[in-house]
Amino acid sequence: MVHDTLNEHVDGHPNVKYFSIFIALCVCTILSVLFDLIHLPSLILVTLVLAVATAKALYVMIYFMHLKFEGKWKYIVLAPTVILALGLIVGLGPDIGMQYYSRDIPQAKWSQQQHHHPGAAPHPDLPPSSGH
Amino acid sequence: MSHHATSHTPALKMGLPISNGKLGLWLFLGTEIMFFTALIGTYIVLYFGSPGWPTDPEVTHIKIWAGALNTFVLLTSSYFVVVAHESMALKQYGRAWRFVALAFLCAVLFLGIKGVEYYGKFSHGILPGRVPESDLQAVQMFRIDWQRQMEHELNRLIPGEDPVHLKQATLSTEIDETQDAARKRELQHWMDLNMLFVKYRDDISANRVTLPVAQARVFELRHTGTFSVNGADRTGVLVTPSDLKALAHHDGDAAVTALNLPEIPAGKAALKTGENNWELVDATQVSSHQLAYQGLLGSLAVRHPILFGNLFASTYFLMTGFHAIHVIVGMILFAVILLQGPWLGASSANFVENSGLYWHFVDLVWIFLFPLLYILPGNL
Repeated sequence: MVHDTLNEHVDGHPNVKYFSIFIALCVCTILSVLFDLIHLPSLILVTLVLAVATAKALYVMIYFMHLKFEGKWKYIVLAPTVILALGLIVGLGPDIGMQYYSRDIPQAKWSQQQHHHPGAAPHPDLPPSSGH
Repeated sequence: MSHHATSHTPALKMGLPISNGKLGLWLFLGTEIMFFTALIGTYIVLYFGSPGWPTDPEVTHIKIWAGALNTFVLLTSSYFVVVAHESMALKQYGRAWRFVALAFLCAVLFLGIKGVEYYGKFSHGILPGRVPESDLQAVQMFRIDWQRQMEHELNRLIPGEDPVHLKQATLSTEIDETQDAARKRELQHWMDLNMLFVKYRDDISANRVTLPVAQARVFELRHTGTFSVNGADRTGVLVTPSDLKALAHHDGDAAVTALNLPEIPAGKAALKTGENNWELVDATQVSSHQLAYQGLLGSLAVRHPILFGNLFASTYFLMTGFHAIHVIVGMILFAVILLQGPWLGASSANFVENSGLYWHFVDLVWIFLFPLLYILPGNL
């Protein structure tokens, strides 16, 4: 039965203009690089770049992976993993967004000392120029 | 089928209306989503928990053009794969084979570009656990690197399985006995350099070495030799303004200051023949030079400290490395298809579809890795 169904599926391959999708994906990639080059404010840049990445991922999943044309089984198979993946990110939220602990990092102390003592000549490869 | 005809009971619908292989692959991709989410989540936590995370491309050797190019390569390969899948459905098996071959070539190209990127990091010592994060670590690492270089050269000069101390004794004996002037000179240079290393090691133990001093030390060693100045042979350290410019560019002004040089006017060079007695000589009068340690030092250099460089290297190589492994697995799947050659037919339709699904996932992961590793750091 499964084999018969599959043949039907294969014969009835969804009619998608894959090349148009491919061009859209390339345009999205170029946009990501352009956003980086035109020096946008950080928050806007991050939002735009992640939005473009999400759009690209959706294009690939919906059209290249044919999720748009699959049956409802896709929700059963993918819902648990999507919920857990999102739950992981949400669960890590406090670690990402809240600094509820005091840092004690020897290297960072050394870096600060360098900045407070101009004579110590901070290295050109070091923060703050390289830091975030 | 006869059972259906006689009993008139509806057929049981067991499982999902897709092949076992496809269901298995989707379940596998579900675990893969979790796997890469955990890696990316960990990376983000470490990034925000490490103020001073290296983001300057000059430091990290992250090349945005390489990342963007690889994104394009993977997108192209995804397109080829989906066209191959479509061709299988249309029973155009030769066309399907050709597009899988193109996707395979894209995968090779992706790994090639990734290899160039990895080489850039290897050659600059950006490897987990190999990055000094402070001046102290840099000078101590330099001691280890110098010692390794000395042993490497000793093994070249005195081949064999003898321990280092015996080889040193052999080398010392050979200096006295050899009639070959060039070899005698090279052995003597090794001996002299080793004595300088021992002194450096002692200085490190006594906390007498700062990063600029170590950088100045290597610079001096590289410029030590015998020079013909005004027709007379002089042995020492010869420095020109262009050498100093290169030092300042590579290691910073502090390393230049640590040399304790007088100001060198244009057309002049500084020659040090003793402990700290620089003298200015006419650069045009230096007719020949023979550097003593340049060959023995190889590519030895004082590594630049990078705050959180080890964490950066760990997360970078972990994420891109696991992704690259997935690329290799995808190439194996493609190879299985390609090996069927002209025999590729309807029986492989499921395999081509499932390989394609897997490959799209590989593309999907890179779609997120590219901004997270190449664009966003430094902008958050």
